[in-house]
Amino acid sequence: MFMPWRAIYIPGQVNSMTASAILKIENLKKYYHVTAGLVARKVGDIRAVDDISLQMNQGEVLGLVGESGCGKSTLGKAIIRLEEPTSGEIYFDGTDVIKMSKHELRKLRGKIQIVFQDPDSSLDPRMTVGDSIDEALIVHDFKNPDTRNAKVAELLEKVGLEAGFAHRYPHEFSGGQRQRIGIARALAMDPKLVIADEPVSALDVSVQAQILNLMMDIKEKDGLAYLFISHDLSVVRYISNRVAVMYLGKIVELAEKNEFFNNPLHPYTEALLSAIATLRPGGKEKILLKGDVPSPLNPPSGCRFHTRCHRVMPVCSQKEPEFKEIGPHHYTACHLY
Amino acid sequence: MTEANIPILRRITSPFYGNRRLLGYYWERLKKNKLSLIGLGFIIFLALVGIFGPLFTQDPTKADLGMSNLPPLGLSRQESIYNIKTDDFTTKIIEGSPAHPLGTDSKGRDMLAMLVSGARISLFVGLLATGIAIFLGTFLGVLSAYLGGWVDNVLMRFTDIMMTFPFFLLLVLIVFIFGPSLAIIVLVIGLTGWTGAARLIRSEALSLRTRDFITASKALGASDTRVIFKHLIPNVISLVIVMATLSIPGVIMAEASLSFIGLGDPTSTSWGTILNAGQHSLETAWWVAVEPGIMLFLTVLSFNFFGDGLRDAFDPKASI
Repeated sequence: MFMPWRAIYIPGQVNSMTASAILKIENLKKYYHVTAGLVARKVGDIRAVDDISLQMNQGEVLGLVGESGCGKSTLGKAIIRLEEPTSGEIYFDGTDVIKMSKHELRKLRGKIQIVFQDPDSSLDPRMTVGDSIDEALIVHDFKNPDTRNAKVAELLEKVGLEAGFAHRYPHEFSGGQRQRIGIARALAMDPKLVIADEPVSALDVSVQAQILNLMMDIKEKDGLAYLFISHDLSVVRYISNRVAVMYLGKIVELAEKNEFFNNPLHPYTEALLSAIATLRPGGKEKILLKGDVPSPLNPPSGCRFHTRCHRVMPVCSQKEPEFKEIGPHHYTACHLY
Repeated sequence: MTEANIPILRRITSPFYGNRRLLGYYWERLKKNKLSLIGLGFIIFLALVGIFGPLFTQDPTKADLGMSNLPPLGLSRQESIYNIKTDDFTTKIIEGSPAHPLGTDSKGRDMLAMLVSGARISLFVGLLATGIAIFLGTFLGVLSAYLGGWVDNVLMRFTDIMMTFPFFLLLVLIVFIFGPSLAIIVLVIGLTGWTGAARLIRSEALSLRTRDFITASKALGASDTRVIFKHLIPNVISLVIVMATLSIPGVIMAEASLSFIGLGDPTSTSWGTILNAGQHSLETAWWVAVEPGIMLFLTVLSFNFFGDGLRDAFDPKASI
């Protein structure tokens, strides 16, 4: 069937019409070499991130969902080269991140920040939270102690805590408060992009809502962009503008939020969405995924999802589907379309 | 941000403000462990005795054969003296003298003075040798864990090799070659005793290295030096202190053992030396061997109690 509106996907040209791209990832790969034996013979690669292209715009929240082990966090860390990418290109604000020297990378790292999942381990237990936040300022050469103190106080108040809390240690705070401190630390250098790596999944539901609202408020005020990594679709639905689904190191679907939740295309997305608990009895029949995510060391041939897909076809195990635009700004990689 | 906040907040950048509060917190926890407080008390007592004691006691090397084998004050011993004229034994009772409250040894040296001198030497050797060993162990362990890769491999294999040396034999050999002196003993114990510390610190640092706050620090743009000195080392320091406290007794025992077998520094009087002298006169003057033995026992026990208490106080998971 000839469908002229289905543009062929060209890497790096996602949403190319929007000029205010803050982050552009092209064909990003992160392989971990697996070695065995005395001579460290290479026996294979774990393809944690396998050929991903993405674009994020200023002030946008991109939800990145997927099961655990699919490479979401690795992707997040590869963007600021906490994990050195194997190949591919990353442009932040038009500058090439991969080619950056150590010095330039340090400068960049104030502008892209990470908020971590576990508030217990994301703050140094031997440092006051003030010192933890202050570290960002010290590292970025703020010399004047009064300026730094004022900034630390301002940051603490920005995330809804008291300035006097700066002298306390992490163990004196609750999980939600600690997550606020983690956010304050991430905001220290006025970042343009915050990679939020499951920032609320370790928190109680009531606290989750508070943190999400705080993140939304800060976003509105400062106009920063979030790469919001999560496995919780209801959280993603609440906070995101666009949603991307990852499976075994690849993005299988990418769409605007409403389009994504109303008209999921990829069978994996369908299955994920049907797993959200609903209040309506007798709703759509749940699509149960069989088994676990296959090993990324030895991913299935063709479409990586074919081993668990409920709409699998013969072609799926032979040919890898192309990631292409099916509807307006709606991309998927599936042989069904 | 109000202006009023600034004076309070200035203290963020005062380096000891936070640490003092943390120390207070640990002290509160340590205080709940009575045994470790007793241990700490004895260690402080021993340190004071070691530092100031020699000012008040007699010269520990001054022999006086007329006063040999005097019992401690309040005790007495019988001595049979053979009278060649009557071909008979007369029994003489020797009482302890206030001039030598802990008695004297077979050469008439004052036991109190010798024990005080021994305390000084034991603590000196224990602290210095442990200091060297723990410093090396921490440095190599943290470096090995943080750098990883071939550095880690080389350092750890080297540690393995060091561990295979029979430590005491090495000590005896080196003392035999270079001659017995306190400096040599301290150096040998220090330079061979770091292996266990290095391994333990490495494993601790390895698990810390993957914690999010280290990643966060790197994500903020912190340099490797900063991560090591501001995050890794402060987080292993409690382990280091505990390990140091618990390994001091071993070092003290090693020095005492060397002295006991006659390879100690001959110019100094250590507990091991006194023990060595005492073993020959156990029948006539048991106190010469027993007194340094009790001191060694109490010292080792004190350090162990104190170390255990410290470990619990530093462990955030231990409920006290």
